[in-house]
Parts: sequence; structure tokens; C-alpha cells
Amino acid sequence: MIDTRNTLQSLTDKSSEQLRPVLERIFAAAQPGAVFSEPVVSGTYTIITASEVTSGGGFGSGGGFGPATPSAKQQPGEEVSQSEQANSGGSGIGGGGGSAGRPVAIIIIGPDGVTVKPVFDLTKIALAGITAWTTMLAVLRRARKASKG
Amino acid sequence: MRLKDVFQVQTVSGQPVTVESVTVTPQSQALIVRLPIGGFVWNRPTAILVERDETAKRFPIVDITRILQLWLLGFSLVLSIVSLVKFSQRKERRP
Repeated sequence: MIDTRNTLQSLTDKSSEQLRPVLERIFAAAQPGAVFSEPVVSGTYTIITASEVTSGGGFGSGGGFGPATPSAKQQPGEEVSQSEQANSGGSGIGGGGGSAGRPVAIIIIGPDGVTVKPVFDLTKIALAGITAWTTMLAVLRRARKASKG
Repeated sequence: MRLKDVFQVQTVSGQPVTVESVTVTPQSQALIVRLPIGGFVWNRPTAILVERDETAKRFPIVDITRILQLWLLGFSLVLSIVSLVKFSQRKERRP
């Protein structure tokens, strides 16, 4: 039983070690290189894109032990041997993560100097507006209903 | 584990880009959340430092989309609260 537990524990530890580089990749988003693009040269202009980057992730592991399932050969009332009990256990590991980026501004280096042009994301604004107004209308409708009743 | 180890705010300067006599150094700010079972990073550009003829000028990077999103959220929240207060006052006044 102790051997099985140790084996499962070492397997879980090994998996956690394997996931560590994945976690390091998530933290690599904290570098300025992730935010600012490589300069793109077009004629006399050099353009750099500045983006907002968000990334996150996590993992977890677990294990459990229990009495072994009685085998088909086993007669009712017959006790399960210690070796069979030792094999009854399981463990698992899982994780997930993701990252997203959104352009915030364009930096233009040209003959007339350096300019920072903000990026206006109309879709995001429209979605935020629709969500905000829908919520507000729902609140108002409920309030009106409550005041009438 | 201390809170300082879990939450970190870093302001970092990136690789400078030199075009003729102009040197542009990008700056970014990152919020890092480190947990034993995972992590989270939010990195955003804050400004660029422009050096020309031994004079440096800082150009802030404004996230217009985020400002408008927050403004919309705040406006609708305030309007909802005001409307709810008015409705409750009207209900109290009724005989």
C-alpha cells in the first residue's frame, strides 16, 4: 500500500515538474517584448505596435486510495488479500491556461517626429455599451414593476 | 507565502529602437500574480521615451478603449443607482 502511494506521489511530482516550464511561459508575458512588436520599416517610417497582453493558467493534481474491487473469482465473504488492496489507488493531474492580446496604440517614427496613435476598438465599446444599457434597462424595469406593485 | 510574493507590479523598459537620430524606448507595466498552482500576468504599455539631440520626452500611451469601457460601466452604474433611489422615493411618497 505504501509502495503504491509512493509511486503515485512520485508520478504526480514528476507531472508537476513537467508543468513548470508551461508556467514559466505564462510569466514570459510580463516581458516588454510581449507588449511591443518588432519595428516594421516602410519607406521612411518605422512602426511599432503596442498591445495589452493578458495570460493566465493553473494546474492541479490529486490522488486517492480505496479498497480493491472484488474480483470475479472471489467468493462472497472471502477477504481481499493485502497485495490486491495495495494496487487500489489512482491519481491525476490536469491544467489549463490561455492568453489574449489587444492592440492599444501604434507608435510611428517618421521624418516629422514620433507620434503615438491610440487604437479605438469599436467592437469592444459597442459590446460594453450594449451590456451596460441592457443591464440598466433590466434594473429600471424591475424597479418600475416593484413601485407599481 | 507573503502577499508581496504573490502580487507583483513591475515597470520595465524594453529594447530601445534607434531610427536616425531618434531613440525610442518603450515602457510597460505588468501585474503578476504568482500562485503555487498557477499564475496570471497582465502586461500593458505605459509610455515611450523619445530621445533626440540629448533631450528626452515621455509620450504616455493612453488605452482609449479601456477608458471608454470603464466610463460606460460607471455611467450605467450611476444611472441605475440614481433611478433606483428615485423609484424608491416615489414609492414612499404615494399614499
